[in-house]
Amino acid sequence: MTDQPAGDDTRRATSAAAFARYVEPEVPVLYRVALSMVGQPVDAEDLVQDTLLRAYRAIDRFDGAHPRAWLLTILRNTHRNRARTRVPSLLRTGEQDSELLDRSGASCSAEDVVVDAQFEAVVAGALAGLPAMHRVVVQLVDIDGLTYAEAALALGVPRGTVMSRLHRARARIRTRLVTAGLVPHRSRR
Amino acid sequence: MTMTPLAEMTRMARCLRTSRVLQSYLDGELDDLPAAARVVEHLEECRRCGLHAATYRAIKQALRSGRHDVDDLALRRLRAFSQALAASEGPQPAG
Repeated sequence: MTDQPAGDDTRRATSAAAFARYVEPEVPVLYRVALSMVGQPVDAEDLVQDTLLRAYRAIDRFDGAHPRAWLLTILRNTHRNRARTRVPSLLRTGEQDSELLDRSGASCSAEDVVVDAQFEAVVAGALAGLPAMHRVVVQLVDIDGLTYAEAALALGVPRGTVMSRLHRARARIRTRLVTAGLVPHRSRR
Repeated sequence: MTMTPLAEMTRMARCLRTSRVLQSYLDGELDDLPAAARVVEHLEECRRCGLHAATYRAIKQALRSGRHDVDDLALRRLRAFSQALAASEGPQPAG
Protein backbone atom coordinates (compact mmCIF):
# COMPACT_ATOMS: atom_id res chain seq x y z
CA MET A 1 0.00 0.00 0.00
CA THR A 2 2.75 2.42 0.94
CA ASP A 3 4.55 1.86 -2.40
CA GLN A 4 1.63 3.07 -4.46
CA PRO A 5 1.71 6.76 -3.42
CA ALA A 6 5.48 6.84 -3.91
CA GLY A 7 5.03 5.44 -7.44
CA ASP A 8 2.37 8.02 -8.13
CA ASP A 9 4.64 10.77 -6.87
CA THR A 10 7.44 9.62 -9.16
CA ARG A 11 5.13 9.44 -12.14
CA ARG A 12 3.70 12.86 -11.42
CA ALA A 13 7.17 14.31 -11.06
CA THR A 14 8.17 12.81 -14.42
CA SER A 15 5.01 14.12 -16.06
CA ALA A 16 5.56 17.55 -14.55
CA ALA A 17 9.14 17.63 -15.80
CA ALA A 18 8.06 16.55 -19.29
CA PHE A 19 5.30 19.18 -19.27
CA ALA A 20 7.75 21.90 -18.23
CA ARG A 21 10.23 20.80 -20.87
CA TYR A 22 7.96 20.25 -23.87
CA VAL A 23 4.85 22.30 -23.29
CA GLU A 24 5.75 25.48 -21.45
CA PRO A 25 8.10 26.85 -24.15
CA GLU A 26 5.28 26.52 -26.70
CA VAL A 27 2.71 28.58 -24.76
CA PRO A 28 3.35 31.83 -26.72
CA VAL A 29 3.03 30.02 -30.06
CA LEU A 30 -0.15 28.28 -28.92
CA TYR A 31 -1.64 31.61 -27.89
CA ARG A 32 -0.77 33.24 -31.21
CA VAL A 33 -2.22 30.33 -33.16
CA ALA A 34 -5.34 30.32 -31.00
CA LEU A 35 -5.77 34.04 -31.62
CA SER A 36 -5.54 33.45 -35.36
CA MET A 37 -8.07 30.65 -35.16
CA VAL A 38 -10.70 32.18 -32.89
CA GLY A 39 -10.11 35.91 -33.24
CA GLN A 40 -11.20 36.94 -29.75
CA PRO A 41 -8.41 37.18 -27.11
CA VAL A 42 -10.65 35.83 -24.33
CA ASP A 43 -11.67 32.83 -26.43
CA ALA A 44 -8.05 32.28 -27.43
CA GLU A 45 -6.96 32.25 -23.80
CA ASP A 46 -9.72 29.76 -22.93
CA LEU A 47 -8.75 27.59 -25.87
CA VAL A 48 -5.09 27.53 -24.82
CA GLN A 49 -6.03 26.73 -21.21
CA ASP A 50 -8.13 23.78 -22.37
CA THR A 51 -5.29 22.70 -24.66
CA LEU A 52 -2.79 22.86 -21.79
CA LEU A 53 -5.09 20.79 -19.58
CA ARG A 54 -5.47 18.14 -22.26
CA ALA A 55 -1.74 18.17 -22.90
CA TYR A 56 -1.07 17.73 -19.19
CA ARG A 57 -3.42 14.77 -19.01
CA ALA A 58 -1.72 13.18 -22.01
CA ILE A 59 1.90 14.11 -21.29
CA ASP A 60 2.84 10.69 -19.94
CA ARG A 61 1.90 9.20 -23.33
CA PHE A 62 3.88 11.76 -25.34
CA ASP A 63 7.16 10.43 -26.75
CA GLY A 64 8.96 13.79 -26.76
CA ALA A 65 9.19 14.06 -30.55
CA HIS A 66 7.89 17.25 -32.19
CA PRO A 67 6.14 18.84 -29.21
CA ARG A 68 4.81 21.75 -31.25
CA ALA A 69 3.15 19.42 -33.73
CA TRP A 70 1.69 17.38 -30.89
CA LEU A 71 0.35 20.48 -29.17
CA LEU A 72 -1.08 21.94 -32.37
CA THR A 73 -2.99 18.70 -32.92
CA ILE A 74 -4.40 18.93 -29.38
CA LEU A 75 -5.25 22.60 -29.95
CA ARG A 76 -7.09 21.78 -33.17
CA ASN A 77 -9.07 18.94 -31.58
CA THR A 78 -9.91 21.12 -28.60
CA HIS A 79 -11.03 23.90 -30.91
CA ARG A 80 -13.19 21.50 -32.90
CA ASN A 81 -14.85 20.14 -29.79
CA ARG A 82 -15.55 23.64 -28.54
CA ALA A 83 -16.80 24.78 -31.95
CA ARG A 84 -19.47 22.09 -31.88
CA THR A 85 -21.22 23.95 -29.11
CA ARG A 86 -20.43 27.46 -30.29
CA VAL A 87 -20.85 29.71 -33.29
CA PRO A 88 -17.97 29.16 -35.74
CA SER A 89 -15.43 31.83 -35.04
CA LEU A 90 -13.02 31.62 -37.97
CA LEU A 91 -14.70 34.66 -39.44
CA ARG A 92 -13.51 37.85 -37.84
CA THR A 93 -16.00 40.47 -36.83
CA GLY A 94 -16.27 43.69 -38.78
CA GLU A 95 -14.71 45.51 -35.86
CA GLN A 96 -11.66 43.32 -36.00
CA ASP A 97 -11.36 43.82 -39.73
CA SER A 98 -11.26 47.58 -39.28
CA GLU A 99 -8.61 47.13 -36.61
CA LEU A 100 -6.64 45.13 -39.16
CA LEU A 101 -7.04 47.90 -41.70
CA ASP A 102 -5.81 50.48 -39.21
CA ARG A 103 -2.55 48.69 -38.57
CA SER A 104 0.63 50.39 -39.59
CA GLY A 105 4.12 49.48 -38.53
CA ALA A 106 7.67 50.57 -39.26
CA SER A 107 8.41 50.93 -42.95
CA CYS A 108 11.25 48.96 -44.48
CA SER A 109 12.47 48.21 -47.96
CA ALA A 110 12.70 44.85 -49.67
CA GLU A 111 14.79 45.04 -52.81
CA ASP A 112 12.92 47.12 -55.36
CA VAL A 113 9.51 46.82 -53.67
CA VAL A 114 9.08 49.44 -50.98
CA VAL A 115 7.08 48.41 -47.94
CA ASP A 116 5.64 51.56 -46.44
CA ALA A 117 2.53 52.44 -44.49
CA GLN A 118 0.41 52.53 -47.66
CA PHE A 119 1.72 49.14 -48.77
CA GLU A 120 1.00 47.69 -45.33
CA ALA A 121 -2.51 49.15 -45.33
CA VAL A 122 -3.31 47.57 -48.70
CA VAL A 123 -1.90 44.24 -47.54
CA ALA A 124 -3.94 44.43 -44.32
CA GLY A 125 -7.07 45.32 -46.28
CA ALA A 126 -6.48 42.47 -48.73
CA LEU A 127 -5.93 40.06 -45.84
CA ALA A 128 -9.17 41.17 -44.18
CA GLY A 129 -11.00 40.62 -47.48
CA LEU A 130 -9.80 37.07 -47.98
CA PRO A 131 -12.14 34.12 -47.42
CA ALA A 132 -11.78 32.96 -43.80
CA MET A 133 -10.15 29.64 -44.69
CA HIS A 134 -7.51 31.42 -46.75
CA ARG A 135 -6.97 34.21 -44.25
CA VAL A 136 -6.32 31.87 -41.35
CA VAL A 137 -3.59 30.07 -43.32
CA VAL A 138 -1.86 33.38 -44.06
CA GLN A 139 -2.12 34.29 -40.38
CA LEU A 140 -0.70 30.97 -39.21
CA VAL A 141 2.23 30.93 -41.65
CA ASP A 142 3.13 34.56 -42.32
CA ILE A 143 2.11 36.13 -39.03
CA ASP A 144 2.47 33.35 -36.47
CA GLY A 145 5.48 31.80 -38.20
CA LEU A 146 4.26 28.20 -38.49
CA THR A 147 5.64 25.87 -41.12
CA TYR A 148 3.27 24.44 -43.73
CA ALA A 149 3.21 21.14 -41.83
CA GLU A 150 2.46 22.83 -38.51
CA ALA A 151 -0.34 24.91 -40.04
CA ALA A 152 -1.74 21.71 -41.56
CA LEU A 153 -1.81 20.11 -38.11
CA ALA A 154 -3.44 23.16 -36.55
CA LEU A 155 -6.18 23.18 -39.17
CA GLY A 156 -6.52 19.44 -39.68
CA VAL A 157 -5.99 19.64 -43.43
CA PRO A 158 -3.27 18.18 -45.70
CA ARG A 159 -0.03 20.14 -46.17
CA GLY A 160 -0.87 20.53 -49.86
CA THR A 161 -4.12 22.27 -48.93
CA VAL A 162 -2.23 24.72 -46.73
CA MET A 163 0.17 25.37 -49.59
CA SER A 164 -2.50 25.95 -52.22
CA ARG A 165 -4.63 28.17 -49.96
CA LEU A 166 -1.61 30.18 -48.88
CA HIS A 167 -0.25 30.67 -52.37
CA ARG A 168 -3.64 31.63 -53.72
CA ALA A 169 -4.20 34.04 -50.85
CA ARG A 170 -0.87 35.75 -51.40
CA ALA A 171 -1.52 35.96 -55.12
CA ARG A 172 -4.78 37.77 -54.30
CA ILE A 173 -2.96 40.14 -51.99
CA ARG A 174 -0.45 40.79 -54.75
CA THR A 175 -3.27 41.50 -57.20
CA ARG A 176 -4.65 44.11 -54.77
CA LEU A 177 -1.23 45.73 -54.63
CA VAL A 178 -1.06 45.80 -58.43
CA THR A 179 -4.54 47.36 -58.58
CA ALA A 180 -3.46 49.96 -56.02
CA GLY A 181 -0.47 50.78 -58.22
CA LEU A 182 2.01 49.79 -55.53
CA VAL A 183 3.53 46.95 -57.52
CA PRO A 184 4.17 47.02 -61.27
CA HIS A 185 1.90 44.64 -63.16
CA ARG A 186 4.60 43.62 -65.61
CA SER A 187 8.27 44.21 -65.87
CA ARG A 188 10.48 43.66 -68.87
CA ARG A 189 13.49 41.51 -68.14
CA MET B 1 18.62 43.03 -77.50
CA THR B 2 15.78 41.05 -79.14
CA MET B 3 15.49 37.41 -78.12
CA THR B 4 15.07 34.65 -80.65
CA PRO B 5 11.73 32.81 -80.46
CA LEU B 6 13.49 29.75 -79.04
CA ALA B 7 15.24 31.80 -76.37
CA GLU B 8 11.96 33.51 -75.49
CA MET B 9 10.16 30.16 -75.18
CA THR B 10 12.96 28.82 -72.99
CA ARG B 11 12.73 31.85 -70.76
CA MET B 12 8.95 31.53 -70.48
CA ALA B 13 9.28 27.87 -69.57
CA ARG B 14 11.75 28.81 -66.83
CA CYS B 15 9.42 31.56 -65.59
CA LEU B 16 6.55 29.08 -65.41
CA ARG B 17 8.69 26.51 -63.60
CA THR B 18 9.84 29.16 -61.14
CA SER B 19 6.37 30.54 -60.49
CA ARG B 20 5.14 27.07 -59.49
CA VAL B 21 7.60 26.81 -56.62
CA LEU B 22 8.47 30.43 -55.92
CA GLN B 23 6.37 30.85 -52.78
CA SER B 24 7.49 27.53 -51.32
CA TYR B 25 11.07 28.56 -51.99
CA LEU B 26 10.57 31.94 -50.28
CA ASP B 27 8.96 30.19 -47.31
CA GLY B 28 11.95 27.85 -47.00
CA GLU B 29 9.65 24.93 -47.74
CA LEU B 30 11.17 23.77 -51.03
CA ASP B 31 12.93 20.56 -50.07
CA ASP B 32 14.02 19.80 -53.62
CA LEU B 33 17.54 21.29 -53.57
CA PRO B 34 18.16 21.19 -57.35
CA ALA B 35 14.81 22.96 -57.85
CA ALA B 36 15.80 25.57 -55.27
CA ALA B 37 19.11 26.10 -57.08
CA ARG B 38 17.22 26.59 -60.35
CA VAL B 39 14.99 29.19 -58.67
CA VAL B 40 18.02 31.09 -57.40
CA GLU B 41 19.62 31.01 -60.83
CA HIS B 42 16.44 32.13 -62.58
CA LEU B 43 15.74 34.96 -60.12
CA GLU B 44 19.19 36.35 -60.88
CA GLU B 45 18.61 36.42 -64.61
CA CYS B 46 14.89 37.26 -64.89
CA ARG B 47 13.82 40.68 -63.73
CA ARG B 48 10.11 39.87 -63.89
CA CYS B 49 10.39 36.83 -61.63
CA GLY B 50 12.81 38.75 -59.43
CA LEU B 51 10.14 41.40 -59.01
CA HIS B 52 7.54 38.76 -58.14
CA ALA B 53 9.88 37.36 -55.54
CA ALA B 54 10.52 40.83 -54.10
CA THR B 55 6.76 41.45 -53.96
CA TYR B 56 6.08 38.23 -52.07
CA ARG B 57 8.93 38.98 -49.66
CA ALA B 58 7.47 42.44 -49.10
CA ILE B 59 3.99 40.99 -48.51
CA LYS B 60 5.39 38.60 -45.93
CA GLN B 61 7.29 41.44 -44.31
CA ALA B 62 4.21 43.67 -44.22
CA LEU B 63 2.12 40.88 -42.68
CA ARG B 64 4.76 40.18 -40.09
CA SER B 65 5.19 43.83 -39.12
CA GLY B 66 1.42 44.28 -38.87
CA ARG B 67 0.91 41.40 -36.47
CA HIS B 68 -0.90 42.07 -33.24
CA ASP B 69 1.15 42.51 -30.11
CA VAL B 70 0.25 39.63 -27.90
CA ASP B 71 -1.45 40.61 -24.68
CA ASP B 72 1.33 40.25 -22.10
CA LEU B 73 -1.10 39.76 -19.26
CA ALA B 74 -2.88 36.93 -21.05
CA LEU B 75 0.45 35.32 -21.81
CA ARG B 76 1.54 35.68 -18.20
CA ARG B 77 -1.70 34.10 -17.01
CA LEU B 78 -1.25 31.20 -19.40
CA ARG B 79 2.37 30.71 -18.32
CA ALA B 80 1.29 30.73 -14.67
CA PHE B 81 -1.46 28.23 -15.48
CA SER B 82 1.05 26.03 -17.29
CA GLN B 83 3.55 26.25 -14.43
CA ALA B 84 0.84 25.40 -11.93
CA LEU B 85 0.05 22.28 -13.94
CA ALA B 86 3.72 21.34 -14.15
CA ALA B 87 4.02 21.84 -10.42
CA SER B 88 1.30 19.19 -10.11
CA GLU B 89 -1.16 21.64 -8.69
CA GLY B 90 -3.50 20.84 -11.52
CA PRO B 91 -5.42 17.66 -12.24
CA GLN B 92 -3.60 14.37 -11.98
CA PRO B 93 -2.46 12.96 -15.34
CA ALA B 94 -4.51 10.11 -16.71
CA GLY B 95 -2.94 6.69 -16.17
